[in-house]
Amino acid sequence: MRQGGAPPTGKWIGSPLGGVTAPDPLILPDPAKRFSATASRLKGLASGHPMAQWLTFMAQLSEAQHAAATAVAAMPAIEQSLVDHCVAARVPPFAADGHHRHSAWRDVLASLLDRLDRAALPVAAAAVIADVRDHSIDDLENLADGFLRGSLSGEDIGPALYVAAALQVYFTQLAASLEGSGLRLLPQRGLCPCCGSTPVSALITASGQTPGTRYLYCSLCSTAWNHVRVTCITCENSRTLSLKGIDGDSGAVKAETCDDCLTYAKMLYQAKDTKVDPFADDLASLGLDILVSEAGWARHAPNPLLLAG
Amino acid sequence: MNLTRRGFIKLTGASLATSSLSAMGFGGCGEAVAELVRPFKLTHAKETRNTCTYCSVACGILIYTLGDGALNATSDVIHIEGDPDHPVNRGTLCPKGSALLDIVHAPTRLKVPKYRAPGATAFKEVTWDWALDRIARLMKDDRDKNFIAKNAEGTTVNRWLSTGMLAASASSSETAYLTWKVVRSFGMLVFDNQARV
Repeated sequence: MRQGGAPPTGKWIGSPLGGVTAPDPLILPDPAKRFSATASRLKGLASGHPMAQWLTFMAQLSEAQHAAATAVAAMPAIEQSLVDHCVAARVPPFAADGHHRHSAWRDVLASLLDRLDRAALPVAAAAVIADVRDHSIDDLENLADGFLRGSLSGEDIGPALYVAAALQVYFTQLAASLEGSGLRLLPQRGLCPCCGSTPVSALITASGQTPGTRYLYCSLCSTAWNHVRVTCITCENSRTLSLKGIDGDSGAVKAETCDDCLTYAKMLYQAKDTKVDPFADDLASLGLDILVSEAGWARHAPNPLLLAG
Repeated sequence: MNLTRRGFIKLTGASLATSSLSAMGFGGCGEAVAELVRPFKLTHAKETRNTCTYCSVACGILIYTLGDGALNATSDVIHIEGDPDHPVNRGTLCPKGSALLDIVHAPTRLKVPKYRAPGATAFKEVTWDWALDRIARLMKDDRDKNFIAKNAEGTTVNRWLSTGMLAASASSSETAYLTWKVVRSFGMLVFDNQARV
C-alpha cells in the first residue's frame, strides 16, 4: 500500500503529549520531609568537611525543626477567598513582611529550642538559647518582624538564627496548607510565589517528568518554583551570565554570576550528585561563596541561617 | 548596620567574622574553609541558548563554553544539551542533535569553500570570491538557456525550472523572507525555504 494511502486504524497507545510535558510551575513543600531531608544531607556532608562542627550543628537544628514541624499542631489555613484574591492581584498569598502571624510560631520556637542538646553546643550557641528564652512575647514578635522586614541590628544576629529557623517551620506549614493548583508565579520570577521571599539556591533536576528544569527553593517557606535557565534570577538578563565552579570539585555546585547586576546565585546539579539538597548543600558550599564574593560578585540574598552583619 | 534577609550580601573571609557563624561560636569553621579554598581557582563556563542546526523542528539547545570570554583566553565548546525551557523539545534531542558536540569539533568540518572540478577526484581549497563568481556564472548561463518567459498560450510566466535551491534549516523569519525575495525574483520555483527533516 502506498504510504499515507489510508489513515491508520490502530489505537494510539502513547502519551497524548508525546512524552514531552511542561514542568510544574511550583512544588509546595511537605513539612514531614523537608527538614529531615536537610538534616540527613547535612550529616552526610559534615564528615571530613572543614566546617564539620558547624554543619553538625545545622543538622541538629534541622532535626529540631523537623521535630517541631511534626509536633506542633497545624495552624489554621489561610482563607481560600484571600488566597484567590492575592493570586488574582499577582501578589503572594502570605507576603512574609505583611502577613499577620499566628502565635503558633512561638510554640514552634519553644519546641525547637527544647530539642537542641545544649551540652553538645558551643558556649555561644547555648548562651543564645538562654537569651532567646528570656525574651518577652513582645520582644520575640519584634525580633520576628525585624528579621522578616530586614530591620534587625547586628547585635541580634544570634537570636535571629533561632527565630529564622522557627519562622521557616511556620511558613513551610503555611505553604503546605495551600492548594497548589490555584497558585500562579509572580511577575517577579525571582521571588517566591507563596511568600515573596528570595530563594536560597536553585536545583537543576535530573529526574522526573521534566529533567533539566530549574527550580528555585524559597528561603522561608520552602516552596519550589520553576525559573527559566540561563537567565539571571535577580535582573533577568542573560547576556553576561557565567557559571563559576571550584577547579577540580565534583561540579555539583556552581555559582551563576551576572555582570549586569554583579550578583550571583548558587545552582545545584542533581545530575552530578543525586543527593543534593537545596538547603544543606547551600550551607556546605560556603567555600564557593567566599571565592566568588572575593572575586567581586555579591550573593543575591543570604541564607537565613547564615546572615552577615 | 541592619541584618538583611533579602539584600545582596558579600560572604568574604572578613564578613564571616560578623556573621551567624561566629555569633554561634563557629568562627573557626569559617576561617578554616576560607583558608582551604584560597589556593583554588574558579572555573568559568558560559551557557548560551541557541537553535539546533539540523532541521525545521528547530529544537532549543544550551551550549556550554569554557573560558570567561577574556580577549587573551581561548574559548572552547565543552557540552551541548537540549534546552529544558524550550517549548518545542523541552530538553529532548534526537540522535543527530545529541551528537552536535562532535560536529563542532569534527576534524572534517567544512570551514573554507572547496571545489572539485568535473571528473577530478579531489577537492581543492578556493577563495570565497572565486567560488561566488563561479556560482554566479553558472547560474546566469543556466538561466539564460532555460528561462521560460511565456507558456504555450502566450501568458507571461517568467519561470526558471532547471535550477533549485535548498535554504538553511534553522532559518529565522528574516532569513526565510530574504530567501523568498532573492530566489523568486530569479524566477526559481524549485526551492525549499526551510530544509525538512
